[in-house]
Amino acid sequence: MPDKTLPKTDVVIIGGGWTGLTAAYELAHEGQRCVILERGNHRHDATSFGAPEEHDELKYALRATHMMDVRKSTLTFRNDTSQRALPMRRLGSFLPGEGLGGAGIHWNGQLWRPLPSDLEMRSHYENRYGAQFIPEDLSVQDWGVTYDELEPHLDFFEKICGAAGYAGNLNGEKRAGGNVFEGPRQNEYPNPAMKQPVSSTKFGKAAERMGLNPFPFPSANVTQKYENPYGAQLHPCAYCGFCERFGCGYFAKADPIICVYDRIKEHENFEIRFQSTVMRVEKSADGRTATGVTYIDADGLEVFQPADIVCMNAYALWNVHLMLVSGLGEPYDPETRTGTVGRNYSYQTIASVDAFFEKEIITNPFMGAGALGVIVDDYNGDNFDHSDLGFVGGAYIACKQYHGRPISYQPTPEGTPRWGAEWKRAVRENYLHHADMVVHGSSMSTPGNYLDLDPTWTDAYGRPLLRMTFNFPDNDRKMAEYVTNRAVEIAQNMENVTSVASSNLAAVGSDYTVVPYQTTHNVGGAIMGTDRNTSVVNRYGQMWDHHNVFVFGACLFPQNLGYNPTGPLMGLAYWTLEHLKNDYLANPRPLMDA
Amino acid sequence: MGQEFSRRAVLAGLTSGAALAALPVNHAFAALDDKPFYFLTRDEARFLASFCDTLIPEDEYPSASQAGVVDFIDLQLAGPYGKGRYLYMQGPFFEGTEQQGYQVSLPPAEFIRQGIAALAEAEPRFAGGDDGLRLLVTTRLSEGSVDLGSGLPAKPLFDELWTLTNSGYFADPMYGGNKSYAGWEMVGFPGAHAYYLSFVDQHNVPYPQPPMGINHQPGRDGSMPSGLKPQEL
Ligand SMILES: Cc1cc2nc3c(=O)[nH]c(=O)nc-3n(C[C@H](O)[C@H](O)[C@H](O)COP(=O)(O)OP(=O)(O)OC[C@H]3O[C@@H](n4cnc5c(N)ncnc54)[C@H](O)[C@@H]3O)c2cc1C
Ligand code: SF4
Repeated sequence: MPDKTLPKTDVVIIGGGWTGLTAAYELAHEGQRCVILERGNHRHDATSFGAPEEHDELKYALRATHMMDVRKSTLTFRNDTSQRALPMRRLGSFLPGEGLGGAGIHWNGQLWRPLPSDLEMRSHYENRYGAQFIPEDLSVQDWGVTYDELEPHLDFFEKICGAAGYAGNLNGEKRAGGNVFEGPRQNEYPNPAMKQPVSSTKFGKAAERMGLNPFPFPSANVTQKYENPYGAQLHPCAYCGFCERFGCGYFAKADPIICVYDRIKEHENFEIRFQSTVMRVEKSADGRTATGVTYIDADGLEVFQPADIVCMNAYALWNVHLMLVSGLGEPYDPETRTGTVGRNYSYQTIASVDAFFEKEIITNPFMGAGALGVIVDDYNGDNFDHSDLGFVGGAYIACKQYHGRPISYQPTPEGTPRWGAEWKRAVRENYLHHADMVVHGSSMSTPGNYLDLDPTWTDAYGRPLLRMTFNFPDNDRKMAEYVTNRAVEIAQNMENVTSVASSNLAAVGSDYTVVPYQTTHNVGGAIMGTDRNTSVVNRYGQMWDHHNVFVFGACLFPQNLGYNPTGPLMGLAYWTLEHLKNDYLANPRPLMDA
Repeated sequence: MGQEFSRRAVLAGLTSGAALAALPVNHAFAALDDKPFYFLTRDEARFLASFCDTLIPEDEYPSASQAGVVDFIDLQLAGPYGKGRYLYMQGPFFEGTEQQGYQVSLPPAEFIRQGIAALAEAEPRFAGGDDGLRLLVTTRLSEGSVDLGSGLPAKPLFDELWTLTNSGYFADPMYGGNKSYAGWEMVGFPGAHAYYLSFVDQHNVPYPQPPMGINHQPGRDGSMPSGLKPQEL
C-alpha cells in the first residue's frame, strides 16, 4: 500500500527531458491535465548555467555534476554472458541526465535527421543487395515508420531548436554545400550555418578536392537571434567551448528548459514535481492497461499517481528498466530469443582521427561549440556501395571543434608517452595546432546484446539494477575500420598537416568498455515495429501489451543509425503525439492490430 | 583529518637536505606555508610530490608540485571526490575486467592512502630517490606490474593518481593547482571568461588575452583569495 494516493490525472509523464516536456506541452494544449514526475531538481539556464562559474571543467566535465547520481542508481555491465556483470561504479562511456531538462541541457546540439534508408534498414539492404546480404548474426529491422511520415515532425523539431545549417536536399533539389545524401526537406534550416574555424575549413577543402561532399554540422547552437514556434527567444552562440556536458548560460544552445519548459510552466494543465522518482508503472487487474505510477516523493513517501495515460520519457535505458521492474511487456530471453523488452540494445561505434599542423596554423581550439565542424557523410548509412564490403551501416566523419578544455583536450602525436617530460612537451607543442576528427558510426543489433535485470546489485530503492550485456558485433568493427581509413585519407590530404594518428574504440580485438566517454546514445531495448513478436511498441510508440502506455526516446530504435539520436527521437516523439492527440484520445484502444 | 605539517618541511624532506633558500620563491608550498593539509600526512605529501613530479616534471614550465598539484590533491581527497561522492559503492566487490572499470571497495581517498602506504613500503626509496628509480617504479605501477596486496590493484591506483595530477595541473586555479595559471599558460588556454563570437573565424590569429579563471581578479592568480574549503569543491 502506498503512503498516499493522489487524485487521478489525465496523463502522467515519467521524466522531464526533451521528450517529457514536449509531451506535456503538446498534451496540455490538447486539454489534457499533465503531471511530470522528475527524479532530479529544478534548474534554469538563467540562474544555474551562467558564466564564468559554469565554465568549470573539473566540476562539470570530469565530475559530471549535471548528470545522473550513480550513488542512487546505475547499471551492471559485461561484454557477454560468460562474464559476471559488475556495477558501472562511475560514469564514463555515457552520461545520462537528471534534473529539469534531462540530458538536453548538456547535449552538444548536433541535430540530425535519419536517412530514408536508415528507417527501412532491413528492406532497403535486401532490396538493393539481395535477401542474404545482411549478416545472419544481426537482428536488424525496419522501424515501421518512413522518412516521409516523419519529415514534418523532424522539420518542426528543427524549428523548436532554431537549427543552424544548410539544406542539401530542398524538396528534391540537391544543393552542393549541404548534405546531398539527406532525404528531401520541405524547408531550409531556420538559421544560417555556423562560422568555421581553420581546422574544419581545411578539412572541408581537402574533402572537396577528393570529390567528397562536405557540409557544416547541423547545429542546435543557434547562430542569430531567433524565436521558436512556442515563443522561446534564443541568442547567437558565443563559441564559448563549454558546451557538451555544460548548460548554456547564453541562451544559445537549444535546450528543453528554454525551448519548451518556459513556454508551458504557467499553463493550467501543466504540473511538474521534482525529486519524484518513479518506482514502477502499475497495471490494471487484467494487465491490459496501466493505472498510473508509484513514485517516491521529495519527502521519501511512496505515492500512487493514478492516470489515464502513462508516458515513459525516462531516457532509453531507464524506460527499459522501468518496464522490467514493472512487469510491462515480456522480457527478452537471449537463449530462446523470445520476449521483447531488453532486446536489440545497441550503441554507437566511435573512432577518432587526429591531424597535427605545422606551427603557423593556429587553431585556437577553445573557440568551440558543441556542434561546430564540417561533416563528410559520403560513408554513412547506405550512401556508398556496400556490395563488396561485407558489412552494413556506416559513419559520418566530422572535423569538429567542440572545446579546448585543457584537462580533456591533450592531443599528442602517435608514439608520445602517456606522461612524463616528453608527454608534457608534446601537449604544449600541439595544443594550438591540431584538428580533431571523429568517425561516428552505426551500431547493429544482435541477439546477444541485450538488457535485463541484475541478480545481485540494487539501486538506492532496493530495485534490481539494469544489466547490460554488450560488445561490438564484427559487422561494426569492419565498418568502423573501413570508414576510419577513409577519414585518415582525408586527414592526410589536408594542407599543412605534419602527422596523422587514429584510434578506433571498436577495433578488432578491443572490447567495448564503459570507462572512456563515447556517447550518450544508448538505443534499443524497447523497440518499435509492426510485429508484436519482435517489438515492444507499435509504429506509433504505443505498447502492444498495454495500450495506454506510450514510449519515447532512443529505446525505440531497432538498431542505431550513424547519426546522433535526438533529431530522430524527437521526430518520433512528435509523430507519436500526433497520433495520441488526433486519434487515441477520442477513442482509447490499440492503434494497430496485433 | 587536517594535520599541521609545514609545507616547507615537506619540501625540505623532498630535496633531501638542499638549502631552503635555494627553492624558487614562487613555490606552491611556500605560499601556504602556515596552513595545514586537509587530508594528507607529511609523508603522503612527500610521496605525492615525488610521484606527481615524475608524471609532470619541471622544464621551462613548473613541475606538478610547483604548480600546486599536491595541494589540489589534498583538497580533492578531503572533499566529496575523496569520500566517494561520484561512485556507486554497494557491495559485493569483485575483480573485474578492464572494460568494467573501477571495482575497488574503497572510496578514492582511502584507496590512495592505502595504496601510497603499500607502495612506500614496497619502494621505500621512492620519495627521495633519483629520477631513474622514480621513472621505473611509476612505469611499473602504470602497467599494473607492482603487487600492492589484496584490494589495492596497481593500475587503477596509477590511473586515479594520474587523473588527479593531470587535473590539478590544468583545472581552474581556484581548486589549488594550476598555480599562477601554470598549466593554462603552458598550452595557451585563456580560461573561463569565454566569448569568441567575433574571433572563431579569424584563422591562424593568436588569441591575445592572458588566462583568467572563474575567480579571477586583476593582479591576482585566480586562486581562492582566503583559504580553500574542500567541502565546497
Ligand atoms: C554529453 C552529451 C552530449 C550529447 N550530445 C548530443 C548531440 O549533440 N546530439 C544528439 O542528438 N544527442 C546528444 N546527446 C543525447 C541527448 O541528450 C539525448 O538523446 C536526449 O536528451 C534524450 O532525451 P530524453 O527525453 O529521451 O531523455 P533525458 O533527457 O535523459 O531525460 C530523461 C529524464 O527522466 C528522468 N528520469 C529517469 N528515470 C526516472 C524515474 N524513474 N522517475 C522520474 N524521473 C526519471 C531523468 O532524471 C531525466 O531528467 C548527448 C547526451 C550527452 C549526455
Ligand atoms: S558553445 Fe554556444 S551554444 Fe554551446 S554553451 Fe557556448 S554559447 Fe552556448
